[in-house]
Amino acid sequence: MPEIFVTVYDVFMRTYPGFLEATVVTLQLTAIGVILGTVIGLIFALMKISGSKILQTIANIYITIIRGTPLIVQIMFLYFGIVEIYTMSNFWAGAIALGVHNGAYIAEIFRGSIQGIDPGQREASMSLGMDRRQTMSRIVFPQALRRSIPPLGNQFIITLKDSSLVYIIGVAEIFSLGNREAAQSYQPFESFLVVALYYLVLVMIFTFLLRLYENKLDVDRA
Amino acid sequence: MIIGENIHKSFGDLEVLKGVDLHVKPQEVVVLVGVSGSGKSTLLRCFNFLEMINEGKITIDGHTVNPKKDNLTKIRAEVGMVFQHFNLFPHKTVLENVIEAPITVKKMKKEAAKKLGMELLEKVGLKDKADVYPSKLSGGQKQRVAIARSLAMQPKVMLFDEPTSALDPELVGEVLQVMKQLAEEGMTMVVVTHEMKFAKEVADRIIMIDEGKIIESADPKTFFENPQNERTKQFIQLVE
Repeated sequence: MPEIFVTVYDVFMRTYPGFLEATVVTLQLTAIGVILGTVIGLIFALMKISGSKILQTIANIYITIIRGTPLIVQIMFLYFGIVEIYTMSNFWAGAIALGVHNGAYIAEIFRGSIQGIDPGQREASMSLGMDRRQTMSRIVFPQALRRSIPPLGNQFIITLKDSSLVYIIGVAEIFSLGNREAAQSYQPFESFLVVALYYLVLVMIFTFLLRLYENKLDVDRA
Repeated sequence: MIIGENIHKSFGDLEVLKGVDLHVKPQEVVVLVGVSGSGKSTLLRCFNFLEMINEGKITIDGHTVNPKKDNLTKIRAEVGMVFQHFNLFPHKTVLENVIEAPITVKKMKKEAAKKLGMELLEKVGLKDKADVYPSKLSGGQKQRVAIARSLAMQPKVMLFDEPTSALDPELVGEVLQVMKQLAEEGMTMVVVTHEMKFAKEVADRIIMIDEGKIIESADPKTFFENPQNERTKQFIQLVE
């Protein structure tokens, strides 16, 4: 067997207990980032389609700033910003930064899906005497949500990988551990190859689950 | 039942309705005809406040509607509307489509709504399809569900906007049959359609709209045999 496989295998076997812990941290960061991002995204999507100029402007400013600046800058900005006002663990600062960042992208996903629903659906609902709120919550949004699932899944995968950036504020997730391992062992190539494998496997598992779920949706309501 | 007076409606610079007066009596079946772009669908949509008129007034069941003050939601609930493209809710089953508005708008109990829903589905001949999703239905079946869905709100008047125009020819009959039955039961109806046979058989009155104005209004026999307006004569020749 070539030398490289042996050394990668050695690094893997030596480091996996630590990496499994770091994987849990990465998954927690991702989950919080996506859940918080979904909540924020929904609120801003509704603001954008609200018809109120003020709410639309607020939403536009938020989306423009978030999409126009690098995530790593946002993480630093939020971390040092929050620490000024409120003492918070670097884990939560990182998770919130991911949520705020995702919110802007998820807002656009929801907005696109909501506006993509046939206007006839809204008309039919209104013609039956349902008001705007009922029309949105019972007719338009459930259909929009279904359409949002593939792009939301994609956003989830991006978040999983983006969570590596919170290493900059010292959160012990996969990349941060790999970085330390590389420095301590003088085996940077093997260490980062192991890091890449962890991410790749996680993304593959998630892609598979997402596909299962999408197929189930198709079968249910084909 | 529905009175429209001096109705004007513009989309931007384009004036679609140029002062329409229409008085639909209780239990009357009025068929609106005209070439495409004449404004007949727009008129129908104004009666349901899916479009807001620029001028004139609309009175429904004795109440003159003030779009700024009135609760349009409540008024729409009393005016049923059937669309050309059915607009069934794809994420709900046939029965759920029918009982959605009675439950959310009328706050009807689910069991009572289901009972009503099944009765209406039986009426349109689709009781056996209650639990399937709309995507499994033919166009004609979809439109019959849409009619049942509208009836579930027990509207005072039903508006039909080209209900058979999106259907394959062999499916038109089943929808017209349901509409005919409704007319016989005394439902007040305003129907935009190109089905002249239906107009002849079912309408109490046929109204020809041309360039945003009513140019002919007569019972079917007079309308087809002795039209007054030159444009109506041309139209009849074209469709017959």
